[in-house]
Amino acid sequence: MAMRELVTGGAACAVPGTSGSSNPLGALTDALIGSSSKNKERLREIPTATTTTSDGNFFAGTEEPFAALPGTEFEHPLQPNAQGSEFLQGFRSADQNRFADAWDEIQRPQIPHSLGRDSITNIPLEHGPPQRVLSSFLHSFVHSGHGSIPFRPTSLPVLGLSEGDKQCIRDRSSIMARHFFADKSEDFINTQVNALLSSLDIDNDVRSRGPMPGRLPELEEYWNESQGMKFGPYATDGWVTEFSQRQIEHNDPNAWVQSFERQHGANGWATEFEHEQSQLASIDQMRGANISSLAAMEHTRKLAHTLAQNNDPKFQNSKFLQFVSKMSRGEITIEDNQIKQATISAPGDWAAEYQQQYSGGQTWADQFVNEQHSHGQGWVNEFAAERELHGSVDGEWVNEFSKLHVNDWAEEFEHQVAEGVLGESAGDNWANAYDEYLNEQVALKQNSESSRGVYVFSDLNPYVGHPNPLKEGQELFRKGLLSESVLALEAEVLKNPDNSEGWRLLGIAHAENDDDQQAIAAMMRAQEVDPTNLEVLLALGVSHTNELEQAAALKYLYSWLRHHPKYGTIAPADQSDNLYYADVARLFNDAAKISPDDADVHIVLGVLYNLSREYDKAIEAFQTSLKLKPRDYSLWNKLGATQANSVQSADAILAYQQALDLKPNYVRAWANMGISYANQGMYEDSIRYYVRALSMNPKADNAWQYLRISLSCASRNDMLEACDSRNLDFLQKEFPL
Amino acid sequence: MPVFKTPFNGYSVKFSPFYESQLAVATSQNFGILGNGRLHVLQLNPTITEITSFDTADGVYDLCWSESHDSLLIAAVADGSLKIYDLSLPPTSNPIRSLHEHAREAHGVDFNTVRKDSFLSASWDDTVKLWTVDRPTSVRTFKEHAYCVYSAAWNPRHADVFASASGDCTVRIWDVREPGSTMILPAHEFEILSCDWNKYDDCIIATASVDKSIKVWDVRNYRVPVAVLNGHGYAVRKVKFSPHKMSAIASCSYDMTVCLWDYMVEDALIGRYDHHTEFAVGVDISVLVEGLLASTGWDELVYVWQHGMDPRAP
Repeated sequence: MAMRELVTGGAACAVPGTSGSSNPLGALTDALIGSSSKNKERLREIPTATTTTSDGNFFAGTEEPFAALPGTEFEHPLQPNAQGSEFLQGFRSADQNRFADAWDEIQRPQIPHSLGRDSITNIPLEHGPPQRVLSSFLHSFVHSGHGSIPFRPTSLPVLGLSEGDKQCIRDRSSIMARHFFADKSEDFINTQVNALLSSLDIDNDVRSRGPMPGRLPELEEYWNESQGMKFGPYATDGWVTEFSQRQIEHNDPNAWVQSFERQHGANGWATEFEHEQSQLASIDQMRGANISSLAAMEHTRKLAHTLAQNNDPKFQNSKFLQFVSKMSRGEITIEDNQIKQATISAPGDWAAEYQQQYSGGQTWADQFVNEQHSHGQGWVNEFAAERELHGSVDGEWVNEFSKLHVNDWAEEFEHQVAEGVLGESAGDNWANAYDEYLNEQVALKQNSESSRGVYVFSDLNPYVGHPNPLKEGQELFRKGLLSESVLALEAEVLKNPDNSEGWRLLGIAHAENDDDQQAIAAMMRAQEVDPTNLEVLLALGVSHTNELEQAAALKYLYSWLRHHPKYGTIAPADQSDNLYYADVARLFNDAAKISPDDADVHIVLGVLYNLSREYDKAIEAFQTSLKLKPRDYSLWNKLGATQANSVQSADAILAYQQALDLKPNYVRAWANMGISYANQGMYEDSIRYYVRALSMNPKADNAWQYLRISLSCASRNDMLEACDSRNLDFLQKEFPL
Repeated sequence: MPVFKTPFNGYSVKFSPFYESQLAVATSQNFGILGNGRLHVLQLNPTITEITSFDTADGVYDLCWSESHDSLLIAAVADGSLKIYDLSLPPTSNPIRSLHEHAREAHGVDFNTVRKDSFLSASWDDTVKLWTVDRPTSVRTFKEHAYCVYSAAWNPRHADVFASASGDCTVRIWDVREPGSTMILPAHEFEILSCDWNKYDDCIIATASVDKSIKVWDVRNYRVPVAVLNGHGYAVRKVKFSPHKMSAIASCSYDMTVCLWDYMVEDALIGRYDHHTEFAVGVDISVLVEGLLASTGWDELVYVWQHGMDPRAP
């Protein structure tokens, strides 16, 4: 019997007591036919016969499109057999090359780096590579399980993580943490994961939690659960935090609690759920012709029994917890009002979902036929019986499922709370954890907002009122007294806010002092005052490269070129809004041809090649410019950072050493040196360099974080307290250089 | 014994079934939590040199060699895609296929060694999918697990039978000719990260779990395990039966060691290698050279050594 016939026609498919569009089978039919026709479209787009490889043999299988593999038939609703192969035959007689080309085209964009999350591999030239920072940070996270080192939240430099990146970190670290910390308590695991996430500022934009699946994810979960799987330890998957993270987007944190209270007593869903379970049980019985499935059922029932006996509130809530653990993987997104609309299920969707879940990949039709054979009683009758079990009238179950919107889980939770299943203490814990989390987030958020793009002046500046603070600042800068120099220059720009040189030097002092936020803020002020200052433009280009902001970096580097007296002509003005990396790189290569002895052009090229991760070329460019400017210590530092990023940490140390020989008070190079040692696993050495950097600028927050990571990697937990209290004297005695 | 340094963290290593001196390594940046991936194809001669490598936009968690074409490799990528590479083509023509159906991270791939025309992928989207190299869409999806599926392994004797290991604490045995799983093995109390079939007895399967143990089961009588192998100090990440000795098993673990076991003797642990300095997450046993082992880990190193030797020996 052909699939379509079976589904659309025939008295066998009629369900007693159903009719119209709310008829579930009608919906199922729609879904199946709908999906077949959709699939035809897909086949058209992605032909199977191609010539993309040198070896035609791989595609021998296409001669018998769907018959070759056993089990294929189980996917029939998704791969219409007859139509499919007919279609393919017709297609193969058509212009094959064109299809092959189309297929190639579809495949081509898969070239690495042209897609996906690029940002993380971008490179900071001035301070430690975020990639490496992140790597060390994740390293200490991963190893915090050994020896129970508490992994504390720290504030990391801005790493430029995209929402997709954050989602990956969040989901993957939650899943992986349960592997590495196997013998630790759930609390421990949750603490670790939360510390990681909050340090990376991963939390509050819940909309980014993952592509919203087309169908009803939560419905799928309910079905899975009602199948009665064994609940693993992951079920207690840090739901408290997960849940609170999810909830952030409810503007008022209390709203969640209130909504529970309002809905108190609404336990309709729970009843519904029981019905579904009994329904499934009977389906299982019906299917249970083979022994293993009976065994599975027995296991399931035993488990359910055990769960019911267990007084542990965690177990009592395990369905809920499992649901929440799904959330931890970003599969469910709660969007308050918006999602409600999205989840009012179309009957067709439900039908498809049901069909999939129910048969585990088996087609409804096969199931139907099997059941007809193996039992006197067909699926249809069973189905009808189940409907009676619900005691519902026509199509009502469809509606019931439509009601399963996101808030239902909340209702269930509330219901369980109402029944005291969770216990008082659990509820309180949850509330406390949630509050704590919220406070933490608010604090973090304020922190990061205040520091971005706005220059923050020091209090109590002794140089205010100085007759010539600029000269003083320049002098201090030359001597390498960066922190003092910063104060003097601040006094200068307070006095003369339009002095671009004051702002520029202030920016450079901050950059060398390992404070990028302030450096960018100062440089932006300098650029406001003097929009064409080449040094400022170059510095901003480099800073934005460090901050992983490719578009901004390109903008400044391009405008450097445009305002340059020698190269202004090769850079057309009309392009400046819409820059592509390749164009900018080409222009700078042209510029390098015009004047091969201009070190600045090679520096910019080095920066650009860092943006595109062509480290070998970047190293070459920096080395060329070093031949022209061998005494530029910041250039040696750039070379070092690039070498570190291209996994040549040993070379990087030599470059940093050059920078330090030229400028012994170069805090950033000391810190970078530490990073390079840490990258090579020489944590003891890295600690000495961090401590040295910090002794010169105790305000370098990043270096404190790196130091902390190295201390825990070197198993010097005894020194963590000194680090946390920023006791430099103690640290310097312990780690002399 | 030769060592190879990869820029990213090692995730999986597999010997070529065609050439005794070829192997491939799947790697991921930042422990696979975030960043790019790279697939290395390596040559033993007798030091390890790189023949070629392929970059991906997300970490590569696993790989398998085709059993029918010596130049084909399949990578399981953390973005959920499976990418097929042909070593006989220049890197610009690769990958020759990118199969993207899994909704979440693809964590395991295994090529059918009997039919040699199809492969399986296991994903964190709770499903296993059946594919052939010549089709742009999967042949079938097996969706019964209630949590991440970490690995799937074909039975070495029956072309249509495979097992899948999942975080839902079960291993399921499937026959692709059947609509659903044919057996559910509640093998551990904790997540199960890996499983493999005995190469000499088609009813024996080993499972590796977060509970630090490896269990060996006879699927005809699965109430009690045939053997429980304790010795790893942390979650056991991969388990692999020897192609040469019936009762030999290799495993690697988050305790940073690679262990060799003989499940039939009382003191089952017959070798422990602690050469890795980070989690050991990939291990393989050569089919073509008896006793040749390979391992990789998050210390970004790939080791190849003969059983009984020190992997670090120069």
